[in-house]
Amino acid sequence: MATNSASYRPRKKRKSAALFAGSNNSLTVDSGEGKSTPAFPLVSFQWGARAGVSQWLVLPLTLMAVGLFRWAVSLWGYSGFQVPPMHGDFEAQRHWMEITIHLPLSKWYTYDLQYWGLDYPPLTAYHSWLLGKIGSIFDPTWFALDDSRGLEDPLLKVFMRATVIVSEYLIYIPAIVTFLRRYTRMQAVPVWSASIALSAILLQPATILIDHGHFQFNTVMLGLFVASLDAILAGRMLWACIFFVGALGFKQMALYYAPVMFAFLLGVCTVPRFRPVRLLCISLVTIVAFAVLLLPLILGATGAEATKYLELTTEPPLLQALPIELDRASSLYAILFQVAQVIHRIFPFSRGLFEDKVANAWCAIHTFYKLHTFESEFLKRLSLGATLASISIPCGIIFRHPRASILLPAFATVAWGFFLFSFQVHEKSVLLPLLPMTLLIAGDGGLEKDTRAWVGWANMLGSWTLYPLLKRDGLQVPYFVMTYLWAYLLGLPPTSWQIYRHQTPSDESGTATEPHVFAKVIHSAFYLAMLVWHVLEAFVPPPPGKPDLWVVLNVIIGAGGFGISYLWCLWRLIIQGWSLDTHAEDARKKNQ
Amino acid sequence: MAESYPSLAQCAIVATAFKILLFPAYQSTDFEVHRNWLAITHSLPVKEWYYERTSEWTLDYPPFFAAFEWVLSQLAQYADPAMLVVKNLEYDSWQTIYFQRATVIMTELVLLYALNKFVNSVPASSKHLAHAASLSILLSPGLLIIDHIHFQYNGFLYGILILSIVWARKQSTLLYSGIAFAVLLCLKHIYLYLSLAYFVFLLRAYCLDPKSVFRPRIWNTIKLGVSVATVFGVAFGPFAYWGQLVQLKERLFPFSRGLCHAYWAPNVWAMYSFTDRILIPLAPRLGLPVNHDALSSVTRGLVGDTSFAVLPEVSKEHTFALTLLFQVLPLIKLWRNPYPNTFIGALTLCGYASFLFGWHVHEKAILLIIIPFSLIAVKDRRYFSAFRPLAVAGHVSLFPLLFTAAEFPLKTVYTLFWLILFLFVFDRIAPVPERPRIFLVDRFSLLYITVSIPLIIYCSLIHQLVFGLERYQFLPLMFMSSYSALGVVGSWVGFMVVYFTA
Repeated sequence: MATNSASYRPRKKRKSAALFAGSNNSLTVDSGEGKSTPAFPLVSFQWGARAGVSQWLVLPLTLMAVGLFRWAVSLWGYSGFQVPPMHGDFEAQRHWMEITIHLPLSKWYTYDLQYWGLDYPPLTAYHSWLLGKIGSIFDPTWFALDDSRGLEDPLLKVFMRATVIVSEYLIYIPAIVTFLRRYTRMQAVPVWSASIALSAILLQPATILIDHGHFQFNTVMLGLFVASLDAILAGRMLWACIFFVGALGFKQMALYYAPVMFAFLLGVCTVPRFRPVRLLCISLVTIVAFAVLLLPLILGATGAEATKYLELTTEPPLLQALPIELDRASSLYAILFQVAQVIHRIFPFSRGLFEDKVANAWCAIHTFYKLHTFESEFLKRLSLGATLASISIPCGIIFRHPRASILLPAFATVAWGFFLFSFQVHEKSVLLPLLPMTLLIAGDGGLEKDTRAWVGWANMLGSWTLYPLLKRDGLQVPYFVMTYLWAYLLGLPPTSWQIYRHQTPSDESGTATEPHVFAKVIHSAFYLAMLVWHVLEAFVPPPPGKPDLWVVLNVIIGAGGFGISYLWCLWRLIIQGWSLDTHAEDARKKNQ
Repeated sequence: MAESYPSLAQCAIVATAFKILLFPAYQSTDFEVHRNWLAITHSLPVKEWYYERTSEWTLDYPPFFAAFEWVLSQLAQYADPAMLVVKNLEYDSWQTIYFQRATVIMTELVLLYALNKFVNSVPASSKHLAHAASLSILLSPGLLIIDHIHFQYNGFLYGILILSIVWARKQSTLLYSGIAFAVLLCLKHIYLYLSLAYFVFLLRAYCLDPKSVFRPRIWNTIKLGVSVATVFGVAFGPFAYWGQLVQLKERLFPFSRGLCHAYWAPNVWAMYSFTDRILIPLAPRLGLPVNHDALSSVTRGLVGDTSFAVLPEVSKEHTFALTLLFQVLPLIKLWRNPYPNTFIGALTLCGYASFLFGWHVHEKAILLIIIPFSLIAVKDRRYFSAFRPLAVAGHVSLFPLLFTAAEFPLKTVYTLFWLILFLFVFDRIAPVPERPRIFLVDRFSLLYITVSIPLIIYCSLIHQLVFGLERYQFLPLMFMSSYSALGVVGSWVGFMVVYFTA
C-alpha cells in the first residue's frame, strides 16, 4: 500500500498479463498531466499492490481487515437480547446446540416445538451439535438442557460470535476466494482487480450485519452455494451437486437457487446432445447426497427406544395425508415419521403469505389492497404462479445455454424472483439474491461504473430494507457504519456522486461503460428516498393510527427497487444469452 | 513524486468507521477516571479541582488537561448531564460511552492534522517515506488499544507532539515548537521525559548561533523564555496564587509507588525481576543469600512494590541516575549536531532511557518511543532494522492491558495486521544506507519475531488451560514483559549505534 515507489519494481510475470491489462482502466482515472488516480477509495487502499504484490501478502491482509470489521460488529447487540420470554435468533441457535447435544436424534425435530423447535434442515442440526459439544468444553452450563434457556452470559456471547466467524472463515471465505480465483481467470480479469473485487464482496454490509450483528449462520449456506458454483466452473458437476445439497441441507432458503441449478444441470446433460450417463450420475449423486444427509436422523429413529417414542408422538400432517395405514410400532413407521417430521418442520406450509413486513411484492400490494380477503389456498396458487412466471425466462435461458459464464445473473434473477413473489419470505432472504449479483463485480468490467453502480445500489437498498429489523436489535450504529463504509469504498452516494458523472478513464481507449441516463435517474431517486426516509424515521413520529407508516414506506420503496434489480439482472442475462446465440450463429455460418 | 495512496484522510475515514464500531468494547478504569474528571471540572470551582476526592480516581493531570476536560464537559451536558455529577461513580449510560468515545475520535483529528503537516514538511524526494510513516502512526495498534479500547486521549496529545516536532524542523517555526511543547507539558506531564531533548535542542538551535555557541541570540532567548513562561504561568499561575502548588505536586508526582507498575512495563527492571526470579532456586547452589520476605509475597509482580529475593534492591535515586545518564549521552551529540533528524533521534533515545530505566513506568509509555521513532524509522535500512524489534515488542507488551475474551481477537489480529503491513511496506521502501551496516542483527530479530507467536499463544491460552485462571497469574505477565523487554533493549542498543554513527 501507500506508496508510488512500488512502481519501480518489475511487474510480476503472470500469464499473458498484457492481454488483460485493459480491464484495469476503470480503476484509474486520468487526473490530467498524465497522472492516474484511483477511481474510487477501495482502489486507493490497494494502490500499492497494483504493480503486483504477492497474493500471499494481499490475501491475508484483506482477510484480516474484513475479519476485524466482522468481529467489531459482533461486539454490538444481537437479536432478542434482553427480550424474554422468547428472545430471538441468537437464542434459537443456542437452543438448538442445547437440544442436539442432550437429546437422542429421534427427538431433535419433536422436542418442545413451542420453544424454538428445530425448523432448519439436518446439516444445521449437525452443525449445532458440533458447536454445542465444543462449547460444552468451555462451560457446560451454557448448554444445560432446559436450564440454559434465555442465558445471556457475556462469555457465551463471545463463544457464539466466534462460532459464526469461524464457520464463515472455514466455509464461506475459502469458497469465495477459490471461486473468485477461477472466475476472474476465466473472465481474464487482472489479479489486481480481482483482489479489489474480493475485498468489496467480503464487505457486503447486509451479510455482515445479519450474520455478525443480528446473529445467523447464512454464510455457511451461502458458502456451500459458492463452493458449488466453483465446482461448476471447474467442471466438476458431481461435486457441484454435493455442495448444493449441502447448502440446501443447511438452510432451506437455498431453494431460491435450486431452479437455476436444476436447469443448468439438466441443460448440461441435454444440450447440445443428450447424455444419459451424465444425467444418471448427477441424479444418483444428488440422491445419495440427500440420503447421507438424512442417514444419521434415520438411523436415530430405528432404535427400539426411538420407535417407541415416535409411536406415541402425534403424527406429522404429511404422514396423515398418506393413503395407506402404517403399523405405528414398526421401524418403517419411525423412519417415515422422522423424514415427514423434518420436512414438515422445514417447510411451514401452514403459515401465511408473508409474516413480518418484508420488501416483496405481496407486502407492497397488501398496503394498497388487502390480501386477507382472499382464501389462503388461492394466495398460495397466486404466489406459486407469479414465482414460476418470474423464474421461467432465466431458467429457460440457462437450460438453452448451460454456460458457467452466464450463471451469476441467472442465479441473481431467480433469487430476486423468489424473494419478490414466493411464499413466506423473510427480510433476511435478501442476502440470497444479493450474493450472486454482488459477485458480478468480479467479472469482466465488473468494477466499471455501470455494474458497480447497480451492484452497489442494490446492496445499499438491501441493507436499508433491513434497517427496521436491525433497529430492533440495537444495531443502528453498525448499520450506519457498515453501509456508509461500503458506499464510501465503492464511491457511491451518499458519499460521492462521482460514479454518475462522466470521467475520462486513464487510457484513451475509453471503452468503460457508464450507467445509462435511466439508471442515473432511478438510482438518484432511490438514494434520495432512502436519505429522506432516514431523516423522517429518526425525527418525525409517525401519525397516530399509523404507527408502522415508516416501515411500510420502507417496504414499498424496497420492493420497487428490488423489482428493478430483478429486471436489471434479467436484462443482463438476456443480453448475454443473446450474444451467445449470435456467436453460435456465426460459428455455424463459418462451418458451412 | 505524486500524491500517495491511500491518503491520510482515506485511512482516517476507514479507521474511524472501525473505531466507532468499537464503542461497546471493554473500557478500563481510565474511562471512569476521565468521566470523573469531566464531572469535577464541570461542577466544581477551579480552586477545588485538585482537592476533590470523592472518587479514588482524583485529578492527577496538569491544569491544561483539566481545562480540556472542562471544555468537553460543556458539550457533555447535552449528551447526558448525569455523567457530570461527581457522586455518580462508575456511571456508564450508553450516552456517556458514546460521548466519551466520540471525543477520543474527534480530538484525534489533531493527530491527523499534525501528520499531514509532517508529510508536507519533508522534501518531495522522501515524501513517500514520510507518508508511509504517517500512516503507520495514524493506524498504530498502540493508539487503537490504548485510546479506543482501553480509553485515553493519547492521539490528540501525540498530535501536539508531532506538530511540535514538525515545527522544530524549520528555523522560522522553532518558537512555535517550543510553545507547543510547553502546552503539551501542561496537558500531560509524562512528556517531561522528553523535555531535556527539547531544552538542549532549542537552546542550541534557537537561542545560540548555529555557527558558534558563544554568540547567544538574545532576542530569540527572550521570545522563547517569555512564551514558555507565559504558557506555564497561565497553567499554574492561578494555582500558585491560591497557594496550591504543593497539592498539585502531590497529585502529579505520587512518588509513593513501587519500582514496577502493576503490569510490568517491558524495561530493564522487568528483566531484572525476571533474573531475580530465576536466581531464587539457584541461589543456594551459588551461595547467595535469599531475602525470605520477598519469597513469601504471593502476588509478586502484580502489586506495585516488587522486592527482590537475591539481587540488590533498586532505589529511586538509582533509576534517576541511570535515566539521566542515558539521556545525556545522546544529548551531547545533539548539542554538537543540532539538526532536525538528530533531534528526533535524541527525542527517541530520551524516550528509551526514561522508559527503560524509569521508576514506576507504565507500559503505555512505550508510545513515547514508538511514535517519535516511527517518524525516522524508514530513513534508511539501518534505522528500520532497529525499529523492527521495537515495533513487535512494544505492541505485544500492550496486550495485557486488554484481558477480556471479546477483545482478544481485536488486539491480536489488528496488531498482526499492522505489523505485517508496515514491516513489509517499510522493508520495501526503506532506502539503502549510505554507510554499510555495522552489525548483523537481522537474523536475531527474525528469530525474535518468530518467538512471539508461541509466546502469545502460551500466555493467552495454554497457561490458563494448564494452570487455570487463578494460579501463577504473574507467570504469563512476567514472560511477556521479559520477552518484550528483550526486544525493547535490543532495539535501543541497535538504535544507539545507528544514532552515534550517523
